[in-house]
Amino acid sequence: MKDFFSTLKFKLLAGVAVLLAGMLAWAGANGRLSNAPQELLGALLTPFQRMAAAISGGVDDVWTKYTRIDEILAENQQLQEENASLRQRMVDYDAMKAENEAFKDLAQIQEENPQYEYASGFIIGRDPLEQFGGFTIDQGTLNGVQKNDVVVSDQGYLVGIVLEAGINSSKVITILSPSLNAAGVVSRTRDNGILTGSAQYAGQGLCTFTNLSRDTQATVGDEIITTGLGGVFPADILVGTIEELVPESSGKSMVAVIQPGQDIGSLKHVFVIVNRDYGQEE
Amino acid sequence: MESKRQRRLRLAAKWAAYSLMLLAAATLQTMPGLFTIGGAKPIFILPLCLAVALFEGEYAGALFGAVCGLLWDYTAGRTVGLLALGLLVLGFAASIIVRMFLQETPANFLLLVAGAALLLLSTDFLFFYAMRGYPNGLQRYCTVVLPTLIFTAVLSPLAFVGARAVHGRWGEN
Repeated sequence: MKDFFSTLKFKLLAGVAVLLAGMLAWAGANGRLSNAPQELLGALLTPFQRMAAAISGGVDDVWTKYTRIDEILAENQQLQEENASLRQRMVDYDAMKAENEAFKDLAQIQEENPQYEYASGFIIGRDPLEQFGGFTIDQGTLNGVQKNDVVVSDQGYLVGIVLEAGINSSKVITILSPSLNAAGVVSRTRDNGILTGSAQYAGQGLCTFTNLSRDTQATVGDEIITTGLGGVFPADILVGTIEELVPESSGKSMVAVIQPGQDIGSLKHVFVIVNRDYGQEE
Repeated sequence: MESKRQRRLRLAAKWAAYSLMLLAAATLQTMPGLFTIGGAKPIFILPLCLAVALFEGEYAGALFGAVCGLLWDYTAGRTVGLLALGLLVLGFAASIIVRMFLQETPANFLLLVAGAALLLLSTDFLFFYAMRGYPNGLQRYCTVVLPTLIFTAVLSPLAFVGARAVHGRWGEN
């Protein structure tokens, strides 16, 4: 056993382990998640992920159908009546329609917020260890994306912020994560609060709006928007609607459970606001 | 008799094949919507790391595990080195365990992957969920972590077959 530990190979392996521990400590001390070797690996992986994401829509559909086989069999019976050429034409039509909708959404968002610049990003990765809907997009520093850039959906709803920007991809933390906090306001009543994720509700695709006063006039269905306070998030970005109002555990304030305007778990495409000048100062 | 040049070429081809398999595994693992049931998705990097460790020995397996872990740290948004250290140790240990106690069969490999996934996923859950005080921990463990483990184990023979094919084609005779 002593010989085993004194071999050159074992010493080299121990050296690698120490190096990794050093990288871990360095990253922890500097508030970073990744470093150069990892960014290189990530850059190599991105083209594969981009290709996979392009076909994942189809795979996703097949898997969903498999899990709902009974419903699908009945549906299939009905669909068989359609002829093949019509279906092919429908596929072409759907593809063109989706593309057109995406451009229309972008045009509308840009019309409503001409002061912002957007980078269009497709979601290319969702890791099994990610607990709060976080994902990777195919836009990185080469496309002007930076850490803390705000990410919105095709319809302009707040999705999250860029946690770390790589060369050709970026990691996004979503509004379902308890780590994300944004100043918000109830659009109708102007009640202020903090928008944040909650482990209790994240599984259902919901987030929370905390620190509402006990006597708030906000009700179910009210819209939540960002205030722009803090300088990270621009003002007046739509978040979603109040689904439920519950007292905070201490009883001193109210918590609104928010249904985000866009289902975070099924997003396939987003826009990143790449210019950081929101006209707000901290 | 194999010349030095032939040997170098063979080794380069073997590790290039393993590297491509790693990129494919990472792509499958992070592919949006693929095999997702109720928030649980299978992990492909871990079985590949263990399969390579099984066929290539403890040192090569451990180093390959470290590379696998670095890539996984990147895709999962974990601090650099965390999963790399975990997979380095698991790759090393798995190779030793199989060499000393188990035969290289798909069934044994499946059990090995299940054990390693249980260890890794439980540790990740402990540090990134339970210790942060998030509610409904037990429910999440049962509905997300355990199904992920089962998915991972069930699909792990794919990695075993792939690594065995590469080892059979370019490995030592």
